Amino acid sequence: MAALLIRRLAFLPVLLVFVSLLVFFLPRLAGVDPTLAILHARVPERNPDPEVLDRIRAELGLDRPVPLRFLSWLERLARGDLGYSYVTREPVAGLLREGLAVTATLVGLCLALAVVVAVPLGVVAAIRPGKWLDNLIAIGSQVGVAVPEYWIALLLILLFAQRLGWLPSAGWRGPAYMVMPVLTLAFRPIAYFAWATRAAVIEAMRMDSFRAARARGLTRTRTIWVHALRNALIPVVTLVALWLAGMLGGSVIVEVIFGIPGIGLVLYNAVLATDLPLIQAGLVFLISLAVVINTLADLAYVALNPAIRLSRPQP
Amino acid sequence: MSRVRRRSWHATAVAGLGIFLVVVAITVCAPFLTHYDPIDQVLRDAFKPPSAAHWLGTDRLGRDLFARIAYGGRFPLAITLVAVSVSAIFGTLVGAIVGRVGGAVEEIAMRLIDVFISFPSILVGLVIAALLKPGFGTLVLAITVTDWTPFARLARAITLEINTRAYIEAASAVGAPEPLILRKHVLHHLVGPVLAMGFLRFGHGLLTIAGLSYLGLGAQPPAPDWGAMLAEAQPYMMRFPILVLAPGLIIFATALSVVLAGRGLMLMFDAPHGGPRA
Repeated sequence: MAALLIRRLAFLPVLLVFVSLLVFFLPRLAGVDPTLAILHARVPERNPDPEVLDRIRAELGLDRPVPLRFLSWLERLARGDLGYSYVTREPVAGLLREGLAVTATLVGLCLALAVVVAVPLGVVAAIRPGKWLDNLIAIGSQVGVAVPEYWIALLLILLFAQRLGWLPSAGWRGPAYMVMPVLTLAFRPIAYFAWATRAAVIEAMRMDSFRAARARGLTRTRTIWVHALRNALIPVVTLVALWLAGMLGGSVIVEVIFGIPGIGLVLYNAVLATDLPLIQAGLVFLISLAVVINTLADLAYVALNPAIRLSRPQP
Repeated sequence: MSRVRRRSWHATAVAGLGIFLVVVAITVCAPFLTHYDPIDQVLRDAFKPPSAAHWLGTDRLGRDLFARIAYGGRFPLAITLVAVSVSAIFGTLVGAIVGRVGGAVEEIAMRLIDVFISFPSILVGLVIAALLKPGFGTLVLAITVTDWTPFARLARAITLEINTRAYIEAASAVGAPEPLILRKHVLHHLVGPVLAMGFLRFGHGLLTIAGLSYLGLGAQPPAPDWGAMLAEAQPYMMRFPILVLAPGLIIFATALSVVLAGRGLMLMFDAPHGGPRA
């Protein structure tokens, strides 16, 4: 177990460097010239004097060989210096932090809602498998997975903001602004969590400890809600963690539609403006965060569930 | 799983496949289903409600909405098909080979897969599509970059399970070369589950592609495209909701049909899911 942990954790820095490499070279591969990007962010001049370009390059150190630039960027990243936005000249770290705070709130609320709604649904479905409620939940989970969130967002805005006027259609200035985005984002997780809970509860009902509890005289319903659920929550919690990792960057379309100043919107605007420092630092940050969360979630799952074998079975 | 459940899954899978084929047929046979040109603007006919002449009405530029929907599926469906196929082939190969080879190679590959699976696919797709001008190839790349990983995991899981079987050991012992073992003994076990996974990823990929084209990174105007149609309709949706209902509904219906088919196939092939990442 300890060996596994050490191996996985040891890999992390290697992975993060690898990710940084990809992210660093992506714009170069795309043919984006950072010098031009900087210039275009400040000045409408589209045909700059080559001398000016050379001067900018020299001043910013952009004329050094690429591997050197990569290493120096990496070193600054490790120190916490994420650079400055081409567009606003503000430190990238601050922009990312503010964005992350907003997105974390959005995603946190959404996942909390999802768990509160989905887990009971899953348990109920597991109590009477094959009956109409279970089938209803099964269909619901299929539907939830296939729903386009941007469509739901538009429909919600159409109904609650435009037709009924109950909720504001965009912005992030209070609880009323949070209702629709959270609902929109919650569809998919609810669908997945309900299904996973159901499967986990059914699995837990097969355990000996469950039968023991029943033998002690507890009713079926109570045993399920108290005992099976406790065991079922392990994989579900892991699933929630994985979703957290995915949603921190994956909420981008919802943030764009509702005008929420989260990290997704920050990156979206950065991409549109070719704001390289922001794009690169943002991507590396988000991906690293996702990788770390995923690794921890996987390790937790294995730790709590030693029956899982992660390596090639021995003959 | 109870018999009843098995049969009802079978039915939903077939229904899903059926709906999907209908949608594909509509997009492919579009010229035969409607005589309207999806990019032909007739401004005086703008915003007409559904009628015998225009089955779904017209959009803001007087273009027939049904024609836009029918032709508008070609781009997203084609991209998704290519992207998922490439992901499936690449991912399955990597997964199967890694599952056979084992050792350090497997370890490194799994860690790499962990990274790629953690990428928020929409965000990565967004960055790629925006940096490398929108186009067919760019969008395929945007999807494939993250989409190959579930296939790799699946292929590896299945391969690991097959590794324990006696005939594989026998083949190795006799000295059969790895590519031969893979082709003769492993491959046919992979086809079913990979196909099932392919359907599921198709649904996910379609939603991502339509989302990217909602953001303007898909087919460029005036070409019709389901996602872009949603964005175009947004300013007018209060007065003419059908402009937003129709494209969204078809995206949803297509994604749902493919997911139903995929899940049904998954159960049919009893594919290993291995943990909460299924």
